[in-house]
Amino acid sequence: MSYFWSLGATGVTMGVLYALMALGLTLIFSILRVINFAHGEFYMLGGYASYFILNAFTGLHPLLVIPLAGLATALLGLVFELAFLRPMHQGRIERPDEYAVLITFGLSFFLLNLALALFGPYPHRPPSFFEGTIDLGIVRLSADRLTASVMALILLGLLLLLINRTWLGKALRAVSQDKQAAAVVGINSLVMNSAAFAMGAGLAAMAGALLAPSFFVTPDVGAVPSIRSYVIIVLGGMGSIQGSILGGLLIGLVESLGVGYFPDPSRALNYKTAFGLVIFALVLLFRPRGLFGRKEA
Amino acid sequence: MLEVSNLYVGYYKDLHILQGVSLRAREAQITAVLGPNGVGKSTLLKAIFGFVKPDQGQIRLQDRDIMGTRAHQLVNLGVSYIAQRQSVFPNMTVEENMELGGWSFRRDRARVRQRIEANYERFPILRERCHSPSGQLSGGMQRMVELGRALMTEPKLLLVDEPTAGLAVIPAREVYRLLVRLKEEGITILLVDQNIRQAINIADYVFVLELGRNRLEGPRDEFSDLKKTLWL
Repeated sequence: MSYFWSLGATGVTMGVLYALMALGLTLIFSILRVINFAHGEFYMLGGYASYFILNAFTGLHPLLVIPLAGLATALLGLVFELAFLRPMHQGRIERPDEYAVLITFGLSFFLLNLALALFGPYPHRPPSFFEGTIDLGIVRLSADRLTASVMALILLGLLLLLINRTWLGKALRAVSQDKQAAAVVGINSLVMNSAAFAMGAGLAAMAGALLAPSFFVTPDVGAVPSIRSYVIIVLGGMGSIQGSILGGLLIGLVESLGVGYFPDPSRALNYKTAFGLVIFALVLLFRPRGLFGRKEA
Repeated sequence: MLEVSNLYVGYYKDLHILQGVSLRAREAQITAVLGPNGVGKSTLLKAIFGFVKPDQGQIRLQDRDIMGTRAHQLVNLGVSYIAQRQSVFPNMTVEENMELGGWSFRRDRARVRQRIEANYERFPILRERCHSPSGQLSGGMQRMVELGRALMTEPKLLLVDEPTAGLAVIPAREVYRLLVRLKEEGITILLVDQNIRQAINIADYVFVLELGRNRLEGPRDEFSDLKKTLWL
């Protein structure tokens, strides 16, 4: 039984990080109605940003760099949104749906290859947040992984507070629920688009920066996390905030338990992502809208 | 208050829904725009409110050119708009919907609060449901939320598109009564409606459109003979 609990705890600690990244994707989708195919690259950039910022300012504590990495990537996201997505929302692009897919895919390729050219294919590893391991009673985790989870939990909490309590959060929700009505009360949806895209990019980057000391950074490090995020937001129900959080935790748990209980331990880890997909398929089979999905208006 | 002249609007090149429509809405009056389905009434309101870009013509609000002004900016000029379809924020509470109505003066917390209270006095039932998600309310109550939200900014001009479409008889009557009261409070109302009899009843001045053009206009009394308008 204690084996079960330790797997569960491991799953939850990863799940909150999955949730953080997926929440960024949800934010972008629910406001801009665009699937951001470059989400994994924002995650990757977060890792590199923390590595290079720490190299430049060696005195900084690695934890302080997380918000900086998020901010730097958010700025990049903002510039991209203003240059390439805003024209689409102003109706200046002829086939907006196809355009949105291609342009974010293009950004993904561009960033991936830019990272390859600039930083090389070798893994970089920013310094640990804290050395050693921590015994939680049911499970022993590296201090880095635990720190990453706690930070992710704090960030999730702050984000929920922002979305539910502040004017910005209310305006974002308003745009996501009815763009025209939001304009009627005076909300400029173009500004909300930029805000949401920047925040989404920043969230992915902070997830990447938090996991960089544990898993290292390579140019393609974002590939699996981004696919996992797409799975999570569909699982949770497109555009649902609770859905992304619960979906992230669920995928984290299922992956961890799946690996732990797979009969052949030598191959179990290779199937890690597949276990999540099993749950994904099951949920879609019985609840095609996802866990918290609303009907499309 | 509002003057529209020779307005051409279309969604596709050269295919104009409105072909040179002109009308005026006088201060503190209800001006009704009538006409059958597909004649461009809703498009007219959308063009005035900046959701659709007119190709030609003029729109003036108190002698100020507002053509091409985007919707979210018109709020600050004292214009509000009630869409034909349901337009509450469905997953937000009644109170959050009202708050968002005060978006343009959100830094003035006291005023937001005071305007919400004023709305609750006008619609006491909304106070009881203030924490309910708006999407779960009845159609009539959702209309009240929309009206209350629009009144948060104390607009001078209210554009109303088919306010009773889909409502039962009694809530519909309430809506018309409310529009008359708002007029008496000094708000100018431009009303687009398919409920001809009711609209003529509360209007001061009536415009009739046909296929994107002006067809008839005149003070209410000229339209009180319903037979004359039945050809619509």
